[in-house]
Amino acid sequence: MIAATTGRPERTSGRRPGRRTFAMALAAVVGPGLIAGLSDDDPAGITTYSVLGSQYGYRLLWVLGVSTLALILFQDLGARIGVVTGQGLAGLIRQRYGARAGVLSITALVLANVGTTTAEFAGIAAGCQIFHVSPYVSVPLAAALVSGLVLRGGFRGVERVLLTLSAVFIAYIAAGVLAHPDWGAAAHGLVVPSMPRSRDEILICTATLGTTLAPWGLAFIQSYAVDKRLTPRELGLLRIDVVVGAVLTGVIGLFVVVACAATLHVRGVKINDASDAADALAPLAGHLAAELFAAGLIGAALLAASILPLSTAYAVSDIAGRPAALDDSPREARLFYGTFAFVTVTGVSLVLLPGVSLVPLLVGTQVLNAVLLLPLLIYMSGIARDRRLMGQYAARPAVAAVYLVVVGLIAICIAALGVLSLR
Amino acid sequence: MQTPTLTPRNTLPGTDPNPPTTTPATSRCSRRPHYSGASSRMLVRREVADALVSVAGLVRRPVRDQEGNEVGRVADVVVRWDAGYSPVTGLIVRVGARRAWVHAHDLAAIDHDEVRLLSTRFDLRDVIRRDGELQLVADVIDHQLVDVHGVRVVRASDLYLTQLAGSWRVVGVDVSIVSLLRRALPGARGRRPSPGQVLDWSGVQPFGVPGQPVRLQRPHEALRRLRPADLADLLEDLGRTERRELLDVLEPETAADALEEMDPQDLDDLLRDAPVEKAAALVASMEPDEAAEALRELPEEERDALLAAMSGGQGETLRALLAYDEETAGGVMTAGLVRMSPLSTVADAVGALRSRRAGAEEPTGIVVVDDDGRLVDDVSVFELLGADPLARLESLTGPPWPVTVSPDAELAEIVDRIVDNRRSSLLVVDAEQRPLGRILADDVIDALIADGDRRWPWQRRTGAGS
Repeated sequence: MIAATTGRPERTSGRRPGRRTFAMALAAVVGPGLIAGLSDDDPAGITTYSVLGSQYGYRLLWVLGVSTLALILFQDLGARIGVVTGQGLAGLIRQRYGARAGVLSITALVLANVGTTTAEFAGIAAGCQIFHVSPYVSVPLAAALVSGLVLRGGFRGVERVLLTLSAVFIAYIAAGVLAHPDWGAAAHGLVVPSMPRSRDEILICTATLGTTLAPWGLAFIQSYAVDKRLTPRELGLLRIDVVVGAVLTGVIGLFVVVACAATLHVRGVKINDASDAADALAPLAGHLAAELFAAGLIGAALLAASILPLSTAYAVSDIAGRPAALDDSPREARLFYGTFAFVTVTGVSLVLLPGVSLVPLLVGTQVLNAVLLLPLLIYMSGIARDRRLMGQYAARPAVAAVYLVVVGLIAICIAALGVLSLR
Repeated sequence: MQTPTLTPRNTLPGTDPNPPTTTPATSRCSRRPHYSGASSRMLVRREVADALVSVAGLVRRPVRDQEGNEVGRVADVVVRWDAGYSPVTGLIVRVGARRAWVHAHDLAAIDHDEVRLLSTRFDLRDVIRRDGELQLVADVIDHQLVDVHGVRVVRASDLYLTQLAGSWRVVGVDVSIVSLLRRALPGARGRRPSPGQVLDWSGVQPFGVPGQPVRLQRPHEALRRLRPADLADLLEDLGRTERRELLDVLEPETAADALEEMDPQDLDDLLRDAPVEKAAALVASMEPDEAAEALRELPEEERDALLAAMSGGQGETLRALLAYDEETAGGVMTAGLVRMSPLSTVADAVGALRSRRAGAEEPTGIVVVDDDGRLVDDVSVFELLGADPLARLESLTGPPWPVTVSPDAELAEIVDRIVDNRRSSLLVVDAEQRPLGRILADDVIDALIADGDRRWPWQRRTGAGS
């Protein structure tokens, strides 16, 4: 009972007197990489992967591998910057690159995040419709659930629920196995790159990269590492968390692609989004596979819908220099909770209002995310090299060069996308 | 005229409970329907704005000689940091590819759009940082600052200069979101001061350059007078390097009081982040029971390193406290007892209490022990108050006798003993009745609050820091 002052029996940090085992230390650090990574497999991501699989089979699987590597690289960088500086990405951009860069990138981030949140709620609506639940029930319910969790739960509560929620991704793995794919062809497609040949193929490759490496995920992992109060001593453990999270993200994406390739691609079924994929799976791989697919979609959307308003709120408060922590009360941190409410309410309204066409909104959001990704990555590489901010943890020239190569590749992809969509 | 207008939050430290957003910007919004009032306010603000020069707006503006020829562009404004309004010591001017130094003596005027010089003497050597100097653009604008009066961490959107008694000084820090957005605008609009939420410069604590030997030597006077809980909040909100710097300039005692109020997770982070000697000095300045609690959170090797770095008895005392199970009386008690023989005089006792009071501890009484170290009585400060200074302590012993518990008593038992006996503290004694430590009622309250403070069943957080 006295535990509360002197130490907690179920201490959340996992540190107890006596020997600290590796597993316990890792358990205390786990979270940022896993949650930020898995939330990239949101409905937009699943849609992209479904299209990748159903239209091109196993051939372009390697793009997913490359995306996963880029995800590891920059999620690790984001988490590292957060831990070392103790500040969020938005604040650091303002501090390092000035007010104009900060305001412009955060404005874009807020717009993109509102759009992405709308996409998540749309995903919840679509997923629930497969189970015959009306959007007018499912979407407000989901929003209330997500907000209640964040407002009531405090930092640890949110973390645990989100980690539990990410277990739904197993559904995709199960759906992938149920589809009886051709594993030999999948391995070939993953390892042997075949260049995209048509305009549509370049588009889907860029979309895959863009949906895996999302700007809000990068901003989120950094704020999250700050709010979790990790110290530079835990950087090694945090890297394990980030790598595991990113690899899991890639593996789940792989199973989605494989499930669609084994069924929809073989029969030549064309789909437009993830719920189409779930519907189309039913006659081909059985109702269980379709339902697992839909359940995964809902869980993924819930996870991302919890994170997006949070990530936006962190970023806005951080750049304005206002308090931003889940452990602050709404009265102490008005801007933080105000932003959270704004993003959630706007997302829900856009999905539920009759007469709002979501398609242009979602396409616009994807473009904005892609355009925003480039400056964010350049800023992050710059901050990583800055000795004044990073001290002894500043990136060495060789590491910085790797970042720049990846940024260059992404720039080429985005430029190609831009040229192609203008034509 | 500027100064009073610029100090909307110039209140005594700790007396302003308003959350950050109830500053003039908000009140202005609420008055918007009264158009006449709003416009006269705008007029005042425009006058004030004319008297101010925005430091952020000066960047990349031309520097001209007497004839009006452009000789360079402003790169930074350098001030000497001390309490009050920091005077400008010079400008860093970009001349071609070089950064040159212009001393404040050579400034004729600083305008919104340009700087004019009295002479064109430039110091073309590389600009070096001197002790106690701040580069406003590189070190302060867009960086974290501590608002000492409002007790919060803010980011500076802009800094305002004005001429006071012949010298240019920084008078205000703009922390409003409007000014941040304004700076994103292109052209002259982005450079006009927009004083909305302006803090008095004398009420903020800026930070130097992390990782460089130039450090601010003097912490803000008011920081020392903050309530420990407020200081703890500030430390929690700052970035890592800023926090380390603030901790460095505070006296260990001031810092230790704040640390006792911190959330265990943050405290743990902070102690593990600081150099071992610094962390040891901080822990040594904390109350022994709080220090032991903080140490329990650390991994074993780091705890041992800290204890080894402490001088003399301090480490031993803490080691002894740490030996008790953390969930029992031995784990919550403070070991800092003033033990005296029954033959000592009241004057000796008062002297001993005074000398302890100077340290970190606040003893509530004298524990009277016999020659074998067994407990005789607990003489409170109240009992000493009216007593004859020459009387022996044995004359003060007698009922009510002290309430004692064994070191392995649990919270429920401690609470029962305190409630049943209506005492503010308990003594912890071993099997031979030798006093080991004291449990104060506030330790018990901490434990009880924390018990009821969980928002979810799985959350077991202490109430101390939040």
